[in-house]
Amino acid sequence: MSENRPEKILEFFIDGHPVTAKDGQTVIQAAREHGFDVPHFCWHPQLSVPGNCRICMVEVESDNGDPWFDIGCNMPVTAGMRVLLNSDTVKKLRKDTMQFITLNHPVDCGICSKSGECTLQDYHYEHNGAASLSRDRKNHATKFYPLSDRIMLDNERCIMCTRCVRFTHEVSKTHALGAVYRGDHSLIRPAEDANFNDDVYSDNVIDICPVGALLSRENIDNSRVWYTEPTASVCPGCERGCNISIWHRRQAWAFKALDPKLNTRIERVTPRENPDVNGPWVCNKARDLAKILERPRAEQPMIAGRVVDRADAIAAAAALLAGAKKVVALVSSWGSNEELAAFQLTIAASLGDRLTAWVKADHQPVPGEVIEDDILIKADKNPNRHGALALFPPLPAEGLTAIPADADVVLVWGEGVPAAALPQGAQVIRLDAWAHADNEVAAVFLPISIQTERAGHYTNFAGVVSDFAACFTPAPLVTHAETLFGMLLSAEVGVRRASA
Amino acid sequence: MTTPVTATPEFPALSGRKYFMNFPVTDTSHSLAAYRARGGYQSLQKALTSMQPTDVTKEVSAAGLLGHGGAAFPAGRKWGVIKLNDGEPHYVCMNADEGEPGTFKDRWLLEHVPHLCIEGLILASYAIMGRHAFIYIRGEFDLPYRRLRDAIEEAYDAGLLGRNILGTDYSLDIVLYRGAGSYVCGEASAMLASLEGKKGWPRNRPPRLTVKGLYQRPTVVNNVETLANIPAIVGEGGEAFRKVGLPKSPGTQMISISGHLVRPGVYEVEYGYSWEKFLYEDCGGIPGGRGLKCVIPGGVSTKILDANELKGLTLDHNSALSAGSQIGSGGMIVIAEGTCMVRVARIIQRFYHHESCGQCTPCREGMGWMERILDRIVRGEGHPDDIDRLYHISNANDGTTICSLGDSAGYACSAILDHYRDEFEYFITNGRSMYDGRLTVDDPFADVTATATAGASA
Repeated sequence: MSENRPEKILEFFIDGHPVTAKDGQTVIQAAREHGFDVPHFCWHPQLSVPGNCRICMVEVESDNGDPWFDIGCNMPVTAGMRVLLNSDTVKKLRKDTMQFITLNHPVDCGICSKSGECTLQDYHYEHNGAASLSRDRKNHATKFYPLSDRIMLDNERCIMCTRCVRFTHEVSKTHALGAVYRGDHSLIRPAEDANFNDDVYSDNVIDICPVGALLSRENIDNSRVWYTEPTASVCPGCERGCNISIWHRRQAWAFKALDPKLNTRIERVTPRENPDVNGPWVCNKARDLAKILERPRAEQPMIAGRVVDRADAIAAAAALLAGAKKVVALVSSWGSNEELAAFQLTIAASLGDRLTAWVKADHQPVPGEVIEDDILIKADKNPNRHGALALFPPLPAEGLTAIPADADVVLVWGEGVPAAALPQGAQVIRLDAWAHADNEVAAVFLPISIQTERAGHYTNFAGVVSDFAACFTPAPLVTHAETLFGMLLSAEVGVRRASA
Repeated sequence: MTTPVTATPEFPALSGRKYFMNFPVTDTSHSLAAYRARGGYQSLQKALTSMQPTDVTKEVSAAGLLGHGGAAFPAGRKWGVIKLNDGEPHYVCMNADEGEPGTFKDRWLLEHVPHLCIEGLILASYAIMGRHAFIYIRGEFDLPYRRLRDAIEEAYDAGLLGRNILGTDYSLDIVLYRGAGSYVCGEASAMLASLEGKKGWPRNRPPRLTVKGLYQRPTVVNNVETLANIPAIVGEGGEAFRKVGLPKSPGTQMISISGHLVRPGVYEVEYGYSWEKFLYEDCGGIPGGRGLKCVIPGGVSTKILDANELKGLTLDHNSALSAGSQIGSGGMIVIAEGTCMVRVARIIQRFYHHESCGQCTPCREGMGWMERILDRIVRGEGHPDDIDRLYHISNANDGTTICSLGDSAGYACSAILDHYRDEFEYFITNGRSMYDGRLTVDDPFADVTATATAGASA
């Protein structure tokens, strides 16, 4: 019933400007929609409203001249309400609140991993900027408390906004964290009957922590934030295709890196908010993208295990395809929409009836991995199966045994197909990015680029298309699959001429 | 299964009507039989057989009963907010988490007239058509807990609780819940959070608890004494009740009085009773012939009144308000001349620091800050700007916290500063009290910090 009811729109005023809000919205929600900044620590658009930090105090003018003050995050907008975000009293309240928040918070911005993107640091300069009024010592607490194998808690920096606690209660639903003790000795701690290691979304608390209290044990002190920059990308961990940002060394700082590997290292992964896909969250697998993408690479084309020039390898592959009577192509479900389209428009179109193309799974769930849940994680561990299946049929249920024995060429694009499982009589053309013994037993091996080296799109299980951009440059002999398919066509001994 | 207790001395002969302290306390006077012999549960019989739920609320509104938990909000108005036909379950929760320093009057009611409290709770539940009621009792209240537990058992056995109470269509179950002993859990929303099994942190309003309270359902939270008044109101009618006390403060007030007093204890006074007569005659005045320095009228959260401000005041809400304070929870603390108010402030602040739940910033940080300043002053290491700083923290807490703990601490401290600034200045200037020497203060949280550190390194 309520879903069919037209949304009621209220008009109210922020700092004298008439603005509108949907009925039920709070002041902070409406203000943000209209570009007004209301400072906040504990409030998070995806979490419940605890009203802990009290920095979002606003003033509401009343007709009797007696204004009242309350937190904007919990104040529903009413028609005609006159809200002041920057009155003198509001400024004083914010300044007082900042004094309180920094009372026991160490001023260790110089060594804090959050420095550069710390809300507390920003707000201190914006809303307080004064030295502490306290003459007394700060409270000391455990400096590094391991909340889990992945998360470290610096209790002294914690401002008890409880975003992390609410995250485990409301988003990941593990109820793994809680607050113990009282007053200014309160601490965030794992719940007695829960293990934060079991929370496969735990790393999100690092992002939502507004201060440097929750730190990634993997990335602690690895790099200062101003040395890095994000590149828009998509997590290839499952068919959800969570939108992410891959943080890597800024180009301007790349040449100053003493270790060249630092220039091609994924420093960290953070969610890129997309309400249609993953909201503002990603699972821990996305955080560990470096472990998936920074494996030893295959960077040399080979013919029968012998390193050759790229042109020779391409020519050899093209010749194999041209001379084959029956080609089976195992299409990568990690290929981008552009690569899949290129394959269809070039190889598939040229080979015509001689080609049987099936979409295969490049990756299967690994032991210990959460297969599927009702939050983000999907059972299919390939990012673009949906996009590939839009063009090609899936590998039959019987798997690789479905490859006909009389197939004379098998083109394997991507991972997940061991050489031993292929028909012995067929010549194998393998296109892969990773170093593997199977590459050497292929008739022709061509190294291709990985996601971080190219741009493209994936279509997730729900049909939502997400884009990713390149952040690193591939090795000289590594080719983008999208380009490679065209090169196979235009090679001197190409499939087109052969089929003509 | 009642627990025998030693009979208490005769009640002081205060003038005026009594609703609670109107029977001789004996070993068995708290039992169901004794309560029934005094006319107990007749109001319940009357309500369930001849009154609609809305009639009960009307009587309570007509009586003008003000809440006895401290805020003095009209009880009938609170109940009247509940929409009886909204299809939601409604709950009444009796707030028996009496934790305000100096306040122990509900304890007397729970120990000596538990059935009166239960009858009031059943009537309140009937008025809002509740099927379940809750009693949140302070963890440290052992005898009151046992008495209440036994009384509930007796009530169930006698058909006063459970299905079809007294043969009527009305059914009610009472859940008796023992808190773990946290001051802030006496705050209504924190109490409901604790009842729900969560950390006892207060909730932001809106929504009000009468809209979304326990388990997100409309809930009325009433103090023990408030509910204990209901049987009398239903029994004799709201208008008759209103004739007791004062028009704007009808009824009586239980007062627990302690401090420098000849006869401390629990008293029941009709609103409008002379404050000075109560202190100097009924309670015997200050021992040792010392003069009265000040009174904390209704628990340490209320602003102190010095001897001059008390002159001519009566014991009722308006009178206390006119002097800038409140009757509050009825926990009166008397302080004699010669008491160091800097130390009083420090003791009060130590309590607030210990009991601040740690949820919202101003209270969490401010309570400790204030205590550290007062500690330093008491150690003889005060600084001239400390007084301003204490005012600053008090003001910064005023109206900015989720619940009123932060406000209260600020009021308590600033009221003492207002009245006795000279004592603070003397202490800071001379490094010692106007009345006594220095005091060494231990870190009250040393063991907590050590535990946390040990846990981390383990």
